[in-house]
Amino acid sequence: METFLFYLCGGLMLGAAAMTVVSRSAVAAAVWLVFSFVCAAGIFALLAAPFLAILQILIYAGAIMVLFLFVIMMLQGPVLPAETARLVAWRKALLTLPAAAVAVILIGWAAQGREAAFGETPVTGTPAAVAELLLNRYLLAFELISIVLLVAIVGAVALGRRQEVQP
Amino acid sequence: MNVGLTHYLALAAALFLVGMTGVLVRRNSLIMFMSIEIMLSAANIVFAAYSRLHGDLAGHVFVLMVFAVAAAEAAIGLAILVEIYRLRRTVNVDDLNTLME
Repeated sequence: METFLFYLCGGLMLGAAAMTVVSRSAVAAAVWLVFSFVCAAGIFALLAAPFLAILQILIYAGAIMVLFLFVIMMLQGPVLPAETARLVAWRKALLTLPAAAVAVILIGWAAQGREAAFGETPVTGTPAAVAELLLNRYLLAFELISIVLLVAIVGAVALGRRQEVQP
Repeated sequence: MNVGLTHYLALAAALFLVGMTGVLVRRNSLIMFMSIEIMLSAANIVFAAYSRLHGDLAGHVFVLMVFAVAAAEAAIGLAILVEIYRLRRTVNVDDLNTLME
């Protein structure tokens, strides 16, 4: 059952990610990306991380993708015709082939002779268990990431403020 | 064959490559941004998989950190894109070559 769910979620996620990359329209790409993130939530659930699965949907598929779609809708109209002229730089795509080879070799090397099977009883990442770590051992990181978010908010507001265009 | 760490690592590597291809190949900066999100997602899967292997929830904490960084990156990056669009009327990276001319 777990194997079936892994291949289902993983295959759908990979397919949706590939569709994101090859979509002509940015709106279609964003919708495929949402689908891919929902499948990622399924992968997290398989990895005994229900809290992450919920947050993946709330933050990624919800908040971040709404931001993306908002900006796409704002810019889309005049942008699309120019893109159909030259969709991709195909020669650069060949660069990914050696990268794929390196990835396969590294995974094979890392998997060699290691204990790669998961334990029988997983430590479930419930909200309570994750919060216990987050607010005790990793409190400093938690506070620092909140500063990162604050700076990002201020920066986005400062960048997005409509300025007078000089002639 | 039971699903183990290797399966998740292979999935993450494939996702990362798909994202990398997107950044290299696409000319629309919005879709390049989405490809970066795919790569971050791949890294999250590796974190969660090793967390499952070691029975340690620290990996989950750092996935939360990646979520926050991804949100910050999307907010700032999209704000910059909107600003570029206002000035140059394009989001195609091939047209943004002022420094090359």
